Amino acid sequence: MFLTLIRRELLDNLMTFRFAAAVVIMLLLVVANTVVLINDYEQRLADYNTAVKTHRQELWQESKTYSYAMLGSWGMHVDRPPNPLSIFNTGLDKRLGNKIRVSHTFTPTIWDAKKYAADNPLFNILTSIDIVLIFQGILSLLALIFAYDAIAGEYEHGTLRLVLTHPVGRGVILLAKYIGAMVCLLVPLVMSLLLMFILLTTSAMISLNTDDFLRIGGIVLTSLAYLSLFYLIGMLISAITRRTSTALILSMFVWGFLVLVYPNIILTAVDTAPRTDTESAAYHQVKRIWEEFERESEQFLRNDPVLSAEGWGNYIYGAISDVPSRLVFHSIRRASSDLETIDAEFEPYVPHVQNYFRSFGPLTVNTAERTWLIRKPALETIYVQPANRGRMLLKFSPAGLYDTATEAWAGTDLNGIQDFFTAAQRYRQAIINYFHDEKIFASRQWFSADQRAVDWDTLPQFSFQRSDIGINAKRAVSDLFLLFMMNVFLFIAIFLVFIKSEV
Amino acid sequence: MWHITKRELYNNLNSLRFALTTVLLLALMVTNAVRHIREHPKRVQKYHDAVTASMNQLTARADASLYALAHEGPGTLYKKPSPLHFCAAGGETLLPDRVDAPSGGRGFWSLKYPDANINMKNVGPDVSQIDWTFIIGYVLSLIALLFTFDAISGEREHGTLRLTLANAIPRHTVLIGKFLGALISTTIPFMLAVLVNLLMISTASEVHLNTEAWGRLGIILFIALLYTCLFLALGLLVSARVQRSAVSLVILLLAWVTFVVFMPSTLASLASGFSSSMSRHEYFDRYGQSYHKLRRTWRYAWYQSNDEEMLRIRGEWHTKIAVRGERVAGEYLTFKINQVQRARAITRISPAALLQHLLEAFAGTGLDRYQQFTENAQRYAREYREFVVDMERGDPDSRHIMGVREGMSQKPVNPEAVPRFEDTRNISKDFNTAAMELLLLTLFVVILLAGAYLAFVRVEI
Repeated sequence: MFLTLIRRELLDNLMTFRFAAAVVIMLLLVVANTVVLINDYEQRLADYNTAVKTHRQELWQESKTYSYAMLGSWGMHVDRPPNPLSIFNTGLDKRLGNKIRVSHTFTPTIWDAKKYAADNPLFNILTSIDIVLIFQGILSLLALIFAYDAIAGEYEHGTLRLVLTHPVGRGVILLAKYIGAMVCLLVPLVMSLLLMFILLTTSAMISLNTDDFLRIGGIVLTSLAYLSLFYLIGMLISAITRRTSTALILSMFVWGFLVLVYPNIILTAVDTAPRTDTESAAYHQVKRIWEEFERESEQFLRNDPVLSAEGWGNYIYGAISDVPSRLVFHSIRRASSDLETIDAEFEPYVPHVQNYFRSFGPLTVNTAERTWLIRKPALETIYVQPANRGRMLLKFSPAGLYDTATEAWAGTDLNGIQDFFTAAQRYRQAIINYFHDEKIFASRQWFSADQRAVDWDTLPQFSFQRSDIGINAKRAVSDLFLLFMMNVFLFIAIFLVFIKSEV
Repeated sequence: MWHITKRELYNNLNSLRFALTTVLLLALMVTNAVRHIREHPKRVQKYHDAVTASMNQLTARADASLYALAHEGPGTLYKKPSPLHFCAAGGETLLPDRVDAPSGGRGFWSLKYPDANINMKNVGPDVSQIDWTFIIGYVLSLIALLFTFDAISGEREHGTLRLTLANAIPRHTVLIGKFLGALISTTIPFMLAVLVNLLMISTASEVHLNTEAWGRLGIILFIALLYTCLFLALGLLVSARVQRSAVSLVILLLAWVTFVVFMPSTLASLASGFSSSMSRHEYFDRYGQSYHKLRRTWRYAWYQSNDEEMLRIRGEWHTKIAVRGERVAGEYLTFKINQVQRARAITRISPAALLQHLLEAFAGTGLDRYQQFTENAQRYAREYREFVVDMERGDPDSRHIMGVREGMSQKPVNPEAVPRFEDTRNISKDFNTAAMELLLLTLFVVILLAGAYLAFVRVEI
C-alpha cells in the first residue's frame, strides 16, 4: 500500500506540465550560468597564474637584498588561488583581496590584501549569480508548487476520503506523499548537476579531486534539506488552509517573503556595515607602539659612535606606512636598502650598520608582534563581528541558512578565506624563523648586494592547501543541523494538523 | 464595464492577498524610508565637507597666483548625491563619487578617474539594499501576477464567466473591466505604501526634496504604473489561454522568475564574461609609450635651445603631457563604461532591467549618472583652462609662456572670478537618455495587452 501511494504521487507529479516547464527553465538557467561561471573561474585562474609569475619575476629582478624584499615596493607577495567550487557558491571568493605582502613588519590579514584582477571593476555594479542562487530560487519555488495541493487538492477532489477507507495510517499517507515528491524534486537537481559536470569536464583548467566531489556531495545534501524544508512548508500551508487557491496564494507570499524580501529587508533595517568609528583607539595604540620603537632605534643610533655621525643614512632608507582603516602604522626609517656596490669610504661603516640591523630587525619583529596583539581583536570587532551579526540575522530565513551552509562546504565563506591568510601568517613566521636561524638580520646581504644577490630559492617556499573536507563539514554542520531540525519540526506539525483534521 | 471593474475590485479588496500585499508593501516602504532618513544626511554632509575643503584649496591657489591655478588645477571634483537615492541605489557604493585633478609634479594638472571602489574590507554577506527598484521590480510585479492569474481562468472554472458573457457585454469590455479592476486593486496598496514612505521622508527635517525632485518622483510613479500594467497584461494573457488557474499561476511564476530574477544577471554576466578586457597594465603601457615618445622628442629639443626658447619648449612639453595623460585616462574610462553599457543594453529584454535603468535615470543614480558627472567634470575642466588662458592674456607683465613658472603671471586672482564646478542634472536630458527604454516598456505593455485581447476573444468558454 505504501509503495502504491508513492507510485501514485510520483506519477501525479512527474506527468504534469508544471514539472516539465520547471525542469526546462531550471536546466536552461543552470547551463547558461555554468558556462559563464566556468569562464569567469578560468579567467581568474589565468590571472592568478600571471600574478604568481609576475611576483616571482619582480622578486628576482628588483630585490637583491633581504631588506628590500621585506620593505621595498617590489618585494615578496603571495597570491590566493581562486576556489573552483566558487562556481557553486561564489561567496567571498571573488570579492576579497587576493594578493598579500609578506613582510616582517606586520602580520598579514584579509584587510591588508589587495587585488590583482585584470577585469573591469565597473562590472561589479551588475549583479552576478551562482548555481546555489538558482537552486535557492527555483528549487524552492518548485517544491512549493508541488506541495500546495498535496493535501488541499485531495480534500477538494474527495480522493483523500477514498484513500483513507483503506487500512492505512495517516502518517503513512503523509510519508508516501513526502517521499514521492522528494523523488520528483530530485530529478531536476540531479539533471542539472549532471549537466554541470559535463560542462566542467570540458574545461581543461578545472580539475576536481575526490575531496571536491565530497564537498559537492555536501552541497547536494544541503540542497536536499533545503528543498524538503520548502516542500514541508507548502504541505503545512496546504494542510491548514484546505483550499488549493488559498494555499497557492499563501505559499507564494511565504516564498516571496522568505527568499526575496527577508534577506534584503533585514540587512537594510539593521546596519551591518563595518564600524569604522571604533578603530581610532586601537589605531592610536598601534601608532604609539611604533613611535616608541622609533625612539628606541634612534637611541641606539645616538649611542653608536660611528653611526651617530649621520652620512651613512643617505644609503639606507625606510618606509612610513599609515593606513588607519586597517590599523597599520609603521615608521621604520633606516630599515632597508638595496645597495649594489659599497664604496671604499663606506666600508668602515659596514660592521656598525650590521650591528645596528642585528638589533633593529628582531626589534621590528617584536614590535609587529606587540601591535598584532592589539590589531587582532580590534579588526575582529570592527569587521568580523558586524559581518557575523548580519549572517546570523539572515539565518532566520531558510534561504540564508542554505547559503551559509553551502558557502561553508565550498570553502568560500569567511573561514575558508581566513585559512589562506592563516597560511600566509604561518609563511611569514617561517621566513622570520629562517632569518633568525641563518642570522640574516645581521648579515651583509640584509642591506647590500655588493658581494652577491640573494638566492630566493633557498628561502622557505609558500604553499597553500584548502582545508580538509572534515573541516568544511564541521563548519557546515551547524547550519545543516538547523535545517534538519526545521524539517523534523515541520513534519511533526503537519502530522498533528493532518491527524486532527476531519476529512 | 464599470460594473465589472467594481465587482473585481470588491472581490479583490476582501481577499487574503490584498491584506498580505498591503502589509508587505508597507513594511518594505517603511524600511526604505527609515534607511534613507538615516543614511542620506551622512551622504550630504560628506559631500559638503569634501566640496568645502576643495573650494578652500582653490581659493588659496587663486590668492597665491595665476600660475598656481594653472599648475595645481581646480582640486578634486565631487559628485552631488541624489536626493532620490531611495528610489534607485544604482550601485552607488561601488561607483566612484569623484574625479581627481592632481598636479603632475612640475607639469600641469590633468583629470584622473579613480577606479570603482570595491569594498574589499567588508566581509559581511552581500545583499542588495531595499530601494524602490527592488520593491517595484520584484515585489510589485509578483503581486500583479498574483492578482491576475485567476482573473479569467478562475471565473471559467466557477462558471461565472459564462454567466457574465450571457449578458449583452462585448468581450473586450469584460477584459478592460478586469484589467482596470486589477490595476486599481494593486495600485491601492502600492500608493498607500508610497504615501507613507514619502510622508516619512518629506517630514524628516534632515532630508529636503525640491520641486524638481517631486517632478521626477511623478515620472517614477508613472513608470511604476506602466510596469505594473505590463505584468497585469501578462497575467490576463496567460489566464485567458490556460484552462486551470493553478497551471496559469505556475506558468506565470516560472516566467516571472526567469525574466525578472535571473534574466538580467545571467545576460549581463554572459555579455561581460565574453567581452575582452583591457587591464590597467595595458592602459598604463599605452600611457607610458606615448609619454616616452614625447620625452625623446622634447629632450632633444631642450639641449638645442637658449634660455627664452628653452622655457617655451618646457611649457609646451608640460602642456602636451597633461593633454596626453588626460586623453588616455578619458579613453580608458570611456572604454570601461562602454563595456558595461553594452552588457546592460543586452539585459533590456528583461522588463525588470528596463525598470531599473529607467528608475536610475530619473532618480539620478547609477552608471548613466556617473557618466554624466564625468562629462560635467570634463566640461568644467575646459572652462577652467579657458579662464586661465584669458586671465593670462590680460596680464601685461607676463611673458605668456604657458606651463612654466617663469613664463606665467604671478599675480593673485580674485577667487570669486574663478569658475566653480557645478554638478548639474537636467531633467530633459535624462528624459532623452531614457526615451528608448520608456518606449520599449510601453511597447511591451501594448503587445501584451493586445495578446491578452486576442487570446480572450478567441477563447472558448
